[in-house]
Amino acid sequence: MNVGKTSLLHRYMDRTFKDTISTVGGAFFLKQWGPYHISIWDTAGREQFHGLGSMYCRGAAAVILTYDVTSWQSLAELEERFLSLTDTAHHDCIYAIVGNKADLTDTNAQLAQDSDGHSGDSDSLERTDEQVLSACPTPPASPVSLSGLMPHKQVTHEDAVALYGRILRYKGLEETSSLPAEKMCFETSAKTGYNVDTLFETLFDLVLPSILRKRNENQGCTVNLEDSRGGGGSKRSRSGCC
Amino acid sequence: MSVKAFELVPAVERDLLMGDKARINIECIECCGKQLYVGTNDCFIHHFLLDEVTSSKGKLTYFAQKLLHKYLGLKKPVSELRAASALQRLIMLCDGILFLVDMVSLETVPSGGGAKIRGVTAFCVNENPVDGDPFCVEMAVLSSKRRTVQIYTVNKDRVQLVKEVNTPEQPCAVSLDGYFLCLALSTQYMILNYNTGASQDLFPYNSEERTPIVKRISREEFLLAAPGGLGMFANSEGVSQRAPVNWSESVIGAAVCFPYVVALDENFITIHSMLDQQLKQTLSFRDGHILQDFEGKVILASTKAVYVLVPLPLERQIQDLLASHRVEEALILTEGAQRNIPKDRFQILYKRILQQAGFIQFSQLQFHEAKDHFRKGHLDVRELISLYPLLLPASSSFTRCHPPLHEFADLNHLAQGDPEKVLRCKKFLISYLGEVRSTEVVNGCREDVDTALLKLYAEQDHASLLDLLASDNACVLADSVPWLEKYHKYFALGLLYHCNGQDSAALQMWTRVVDGDLQDHTRSDLYEYIVDFLCSASNLDLVWKFADWALHKDPTIGVHIFTKRIASKVQAELNPDDVINYLGKHSQALLLYLEHLVLERRIKKEKFHTHLAVLYLERVLLLLKSPTDEEQLTNARERLQAMLRESSLYRVQFLLGKIENCEQLLLERATLHGKLEEHDKALHILVHKLRDFPSAEAYCLWAASSRDAASRQQIFHLLLQVYLGKPQMAPDGCNGGEMEMAAVDLLNRHGEAFDAVRVLKILPDGWSLQLLKPFVGRAIRASMHACRTSQIAVGLARSENLQLLHDRLKERKKPIVISEKKGCHLCHNTFSEPDVVCLPGGVPVHTHCGAQRIRDSPTKRQLTNSSNHT
Repeated sequence: MNVGKTSLLHRYMDRTFKDTISTVGGAFFLKQWGPYHISIWDTAGREQFHGLGSMYCRGAAAVILTYDVTSWQSLAELEERFLSLTDTAHHDCIYAIVGNKADLTDTNAQLAQDSDGHSGDSDSLERTDEQVLSACPTPPASPVSLSGLMPHKQVTHEDAVALYGRILRYKGLEETSSLPAEKMCFETSAKTGYNVDTLFETLFDLVLPSILRKRNENQGCTVNLEDSRGGGGSKRSRSGCC
Repeated sequence: MSVKAFELVPAVERDLLMGDKARINIECIECCGKQLYVGTNDCFIHHFLLDEVTSSKGKLTYFAQKLLHKYLGLKKPVSELRAASALQRLIMLCDGILFLVDMVSLETVPSGGGAKIRGVTAFCVNENPVDGDPFCVEMAVLSSKRRTVQIYTVNKDRVQLVKEVNTPEQPCAVSLDGYFLCLALSTQYMILNYNTGASQDLFPYNSEERTPIVKRISREEFLLAAPGGLGMFANSEGVSQRAPVNWSESVIGAAVCFPYVVALDENFITIHSMLDQQLKQTLSFRDGHILQDFEGKVILASTKAVYVLVPLPLERQIQDLLASHRVEEALILTEGAQRNIPKDRFQILYKRILQQAGFIQFSQLQFHEAKDHFRKGHLDVRELISLYPLLLPASSSFTRCHPPLHEFADLNHLAQGDPEKVLRCKKFLISYLGEVRSTEVVNGCREDVDTALLKLYAEQDHASLLDLLASDNACVLADSVPWLEKYHKYFALGLLYHCNGQDSAALQMWTRVVDGDLQDHTRSDLYEYIVDFLCSASNLDLVWKFADWALHKDPTIGVHIFTKRIASKVQAELNPDDVINYLGKHSQALLLYLEHLVLERRIKKEKFHTHLAVLYLERVLLLLKSPTDEEQLTNARERLQAMLRESSLYRVQFLLGKIENCEQLLLERATLHGKLEEHDKALHILVHKLRDFPSAEAYCLWAASSRDAASRQQIFHLLLQVYLGKPQMAPDGCNGGEMEMAAVDLLNRHGEAFDAVRVLKILPDGWSLQLLKPFVGRAIRASMHACRTSQIAVGLARSENLQLLHDRLKERKKPIVISEKKGCHLCHNTFSEPDVVCLPGGVPVHTHCGAQRIRDSPTKRQLTNSSNHT
């Protein structure tokens, strides 16, 4: 069910990968970026909290849409369920599409990128967060049955790029005047830290000029960096590979 | 988890309200200052006076005194009550009818003007009114039938409709702040600006399933019950600026009492922090019915009784957190409370909390965090030092602050006797003190800090001990001495004495270490260190006092005290005479010192030079008596000879007298004769006694150096004469041939120093030219050269002379013009030839006339030269 939004943020903010529990409602982080504070909302992915998404997105300068690279459905749900939540974002909001859990399918991503991360050790395949199982009643797949198998990568980079194009169309944006898809589609691993800093730092650098411009126009504007999520996909991926 | 942030205190007991009537329940409450109003389901209003009493132990209790109760006559429950204290009115909602009653008499007040407002489901009062009139209350009213919100203003006896706005769905709960209505509709929440009509959907919510909550918590910010049992925050722009709190699904009332969100459900009061969204406290509360805050006071009611939720003082909450070692939460709470506490008080509180937090982390050996907190909290470092037994100097005036920042008596208590822990704590203190000692943190307690650091360094055998003592420090001497002695840090102790201006004590200490009386292996080169120290010591008494010890130890190094003494203006200069007198008994040192004076400092004093020469001589003589080491002797003689040759300041006669009788030192004697310009004696010794021709030649070169050519020549001729002198003067065993060869060599080698003509005259006739070819060749070439050079010089001089004459002429004269038309002054005939003679005054005459006139003139000879001036 989880695509790993909270884990991504923990990796970026605390430089660690720890067990997270399913986010209740939403969580809020402040990141010091140079002389500025950037507020980042970590949204709840559960259906129950779906309605709150548009609140968090309101006036956001950037939205990170996260899916699970081992779950085609998580990408599909991004488009079906979560894209509409971003309607409340600022009109020149930028969108990043992030495929998390890349360590499961890509050996490059198994190498830790920062000192305190685990390198791709043998149990990296057993990526079955306990809360995933408890939060999702249907999949009975045990962690053991997964070990030794490389989950099939269900979402390719091209799929993400295509989604990005559709998002631009949905938003009524010209592809030529928007940021290119190659720049805005990432594959990350919160577990190893792969690409995580790159993701956030790229976004901050892109977003800061427009925030400053907005602030000059309108004093006291707050900035939300919003994590939307795709959910429910891991169920399918598990059954697919077992 | 739990923090004790609040206490539930009963305010109105059941007895006061309904006695034992089981069916009567509380429906609504209102509190305004000490006035408490309770509305019941049997249409009564009860008015109490609520007195707050604090017991001597600080415990708060409430005493409710019933003032009045009044039946409203509608037989329906009183569903809402709001006080408008400025108007002395209560706004009541009962049976869908909104009306005013007097706050004191509880009598209904006719709402003049319009009819009673009917069909009302809910209303709220604007706590941030847009109208500035204090005697006017604004309220928003929801009706049961219409999808509208009505805005009324309430005056003392009049209720007036101001505005009516439509809503997309039936509203069921409302809150008002300024122009912003926060509404719970049947399927969602929304913000509606009743002035502009602009609306902002917030999020969906099914008000059929759960009672919605819209609670204004501060200016333009609302707290809403969200799906999934969340407490969501939203501001008037529809943006959430705080993360939600996680309530239960069945919350029926909520309020904010900063920094906490208090919520009531059927069985519990839950208290979440707005700062970290965590659940902090849960209080069991049965039959909970109402939770409301009135002017910052949170009041709850069950169906039968009223309670006040009293917040514990913030400081106590923080202390509770600290007591349970929840440092992070305590700090978050403190920082979060910043805006509720006056700035100066906050600063004091915050510092103290940081310090306490630091000590907690310190006790858990989390040194990094502890250090941060000590720093940020501006901890008096002595608080930390005082944990370590005996570190603070006895003279320190420090006492720990009260109330104490931590619970520990000392480090042993903290570490519970674990030596490993103690050691880590000590290492931490070392690094911490090392870092802070140069900052302003230690202002006013530098002695204490430095002394503590010194003790730690000594105890831990830390290398920085010497750095500390070598730099500017404030270690207390009396306290440090026994400590350093205890750990055998005698070298360091010496440094400490030195820092305190007790150089004598320092040297005493060090000399004892060098002598082996005390054991300290800090420096293996301590002796050299002492010598260096004495070199730079400004106190001469000290130098005299310890020089003896140093010289006894090692004269060659000891003498550095005098020779390497850094000359500077601040330092008193040592008088060389005093030093020489002093060094009398240390002959080796004396020699070195004199060498230093004469050879290095080049002091031009006869006394030193003579003294040094005599010392050299004595040494040579000594060695001659016991000729064991050839090399040593050669060495000594070379020194003596060099001295005799180089210096010209010693008393030659005196030395000569000393070696007159020594046949082994002929070379030296020759040198001395040379000094006296007695070259013949010197050469005689060299040639006839020593038969050392190279030395004789060297002597000539030496004696002739820096002399004019004539004396050079003389000296060389002298040697030549000695060589060519009468053979019978030579001592036996040597023949004239050898001398002659020496003479030939001399001539061939130093031909330029001789007058060739004189040489040729005295040379024996039998010598072949071949023998002297180099000399003769060179001599001829030299004289040729001289001849030509002088010719050139003559030529040059002449041309110069001519040039000068020419110049002179040009200066003095115009040309003398002669022509065939001009006549000679003497014969008056014209000139026919260019040859003329000028008379003085430049008058041209015929040559023969001029000659004639000279012949006739008595002074003819004087004029003969003045011809040829054409």
